[in-house]
Amino acid sequence: MLNIMAISLKGIFRDRIFQGIMGLAVLFLFIPSAASLSMRQVTELSITLSLSLISFIMLLLAVFLGATSIWKDIERRYTYSILSLPLSRTAYLLGRFLGIALFMLLTALFLGGVAMLAIKVASVLYPPARPVLWIAVLASILYGTLKYILLVAVSMLLATVSTSFFLPVFGTICTYLAGSITQQVYDYLHTPAAVKAISPIMKQAALFFYYLLPNLSAFDLKVNAIYALPLNASGLLMTALYFIVYTSVLLAAGAILLGRREMK
Amino acid sequence: MNAIDISGLCKQFKGKKMTRVDALKNLDLQIVPGEVFGYLGPNGAGKSTTIKCLMGLIRPTAGTATIMGEPVGSVASRTKVGFLPENPAFYDYLSAEEYLRFVGKTFRMPEALLSRRTDETLKLLELWDARKRPMRGYSKGMVQRVGLAQTMIHDPDLYILDEPMSGLDPIGRALVKEIILDLKKRGKSVFFSTHITDDVEKVCDRVGVIVKGQLEALDSVENIVRKGIEGYIVQTRLGQGEHDSLKGFNITRRNETFVEYFVPVAGFNEFIALAGHHSVEVTLVETKRKDLESFFLEIVRKGNS
Ligand SMILES: Nc1ncnc2c1ncn2[C@@H]1O[C@H](COP(=O)(O)OP(=O)(O)OP(=O)(O)O)[C@@H](O)[C@H]1O
Ligand SMILES: [Mg+2]
Repeated sequence: MLNIMAISLKGIFRDRIFQGIMGLAVLFLFIPSAASLSMRQVTELSITLSLSLISFIMLLLAVFLGATSIWKDIERRYTYSILSLPLSRTAYLLGRFLGIALFMLLTALFLGGVAMLAIKVASVLYPPARPVLWIAVLASILYGTLKYILLVAVSMLLATVSTSFFLPVFGTICTYLAGSITQQVYDYLHTPAAVKAISPIMKQAALFFYYLLPNLSAFDLKVNAIYALPLNASGLLMTALYFIVYTSVLLAAGAILLGRREMK
Repeated sequence: MNAIDISGLCKQFKGKKMTRVDALKNLDLQIVPGEVFGYLGPNGAGKSTTIKCLMGLIRPTAGTATIMGEPVGSVASRTKVGFLPENPAFYDYLSAEEYLRFVGKTFRMPEALLSRRTDETLKLLELWDARKRPMRGYSKGMVQRVGLAQTMIHDPDLYILDEPMSGLDPIGRALVKEIILDLKKRGKSVFFSTHITDDVEKVCDRVGVIVKGQLEALDSVENIVRKGIEGYIVQTRLGQGEHDSLKGFNITRRNETFVEYFVPVAGFNEFIALAGHHSVEVTLVETKRKDLESFFLEIVRKGNS
């Protein structure tokens, strides 16, 4: 499994998609100067822009790496040579996943470092009203990473059953979009206005999706980072647990489906 | 314990619109340790399907199979096998050397042995000069060579090769034959599929012929060759003895000094007795036999009808 993980990691670093996406990181250089155009709240704006840019890059990586890794192996018939080795399909799936997850983590650390540098520059040039809460910035980046690693698991699950890359790519993007708003929908359903306006069946359906889809808004700590608001430790712990459980379930389902799949 | 033990193996593919293809029909086959087995069959006969079932890539519809006593599909069944897929493809961002090391590590080879074996196999298959280049830039034959190399790296007891000669130049083919013979000498079992009867005749102990998912023939190469004997070409010297006594036999060729007769197996003793009796000098006897190719074609024709 570690072996597959190492190979995956090597593959990502040598991949052109990765190199292209990482090219986006150059944009960080422009963040302080772009933010300074606003004249007010330059540091806050720098934080917003940095975190958004990291999110965007990580989303691209999650969708492309997650969706293409297994799908490409099957499509290009690499699975014949890999899965005929004394290696269980579960180990293969986990190895692939861990390789990508580790890579996402490394990327987040690298981009996070660059982002913090950009924010630091901004905060020195234009001192903010409230000092930057670095721990919140860091937590925001870290939890964002967890969110995208969870998405990688989603796309890998979809790739284990799909014969084209359409389902994993678009399925993951849809999961991302839906997962980001489920909390809002849930909250809305419990307002008095909604109780009157929405039929019970609709409500049941919405609740079903609320529990099925990942709740990605829990991972969003941008507000804390931008306005230097203190973090809620127990909330963070819950989210981390949620991440572990949800990802494990996705991977277990993926392992079962891949185990039953025929390599024709 | 058999190296491979297949019993009652069936595989049905479900196509679109409820069409079904019976790719394997009730296959029984045993490969004993130390045996080189040639698996012959026309295109679409079910050779690769058999091999994919053995390697756990697809699940048989019915029947069982074991490799070295372990049921196929289990990780344990793959630990003592070197497998070459049909038209193999490997992670093309890796170099041949990196890939071999990856395979060796998956087989849990100790580091020192792995390094030594990697170098040996790369040299044996003439990939040494290309070993550091990513496989993306390899030719078809070079990829096939990597495929062979990765079956050998861990020195398994059993080799399962799906068309090992495909894509290779004549030198490469000769090399593969040599390698298989060498494996046989070292007591390894080899199960390989092919279309080329000539290869089978040179290296195999036994052959099986599969047509439309059914095993139509299973015999030792020796037996097939012996059964294939149709008769003899006998050459005699003219101008000596009474050739008229041999009138009952067909003449296939003649010139000023020699005549050649075709003598069926049943008539050989009579021919020799007559020749001896009438002082005809026999200068050459050659067996005339059907080669494996015509044996193969005959079985395929029979299987198709
Ligand atoms: N994935 C699949 N779906 C449907 N039918 C299949 C599939 N794979 C193979 N078949 C069918 O199974 C039969 C056997 O195919 P197989 O690949 O085993 O042939 P083969 O003997 O290896 O032929 P070749 O010499 O061309 O490699 C063929 O009729 C083929 O059409
Ligand atoms: Mg085939």
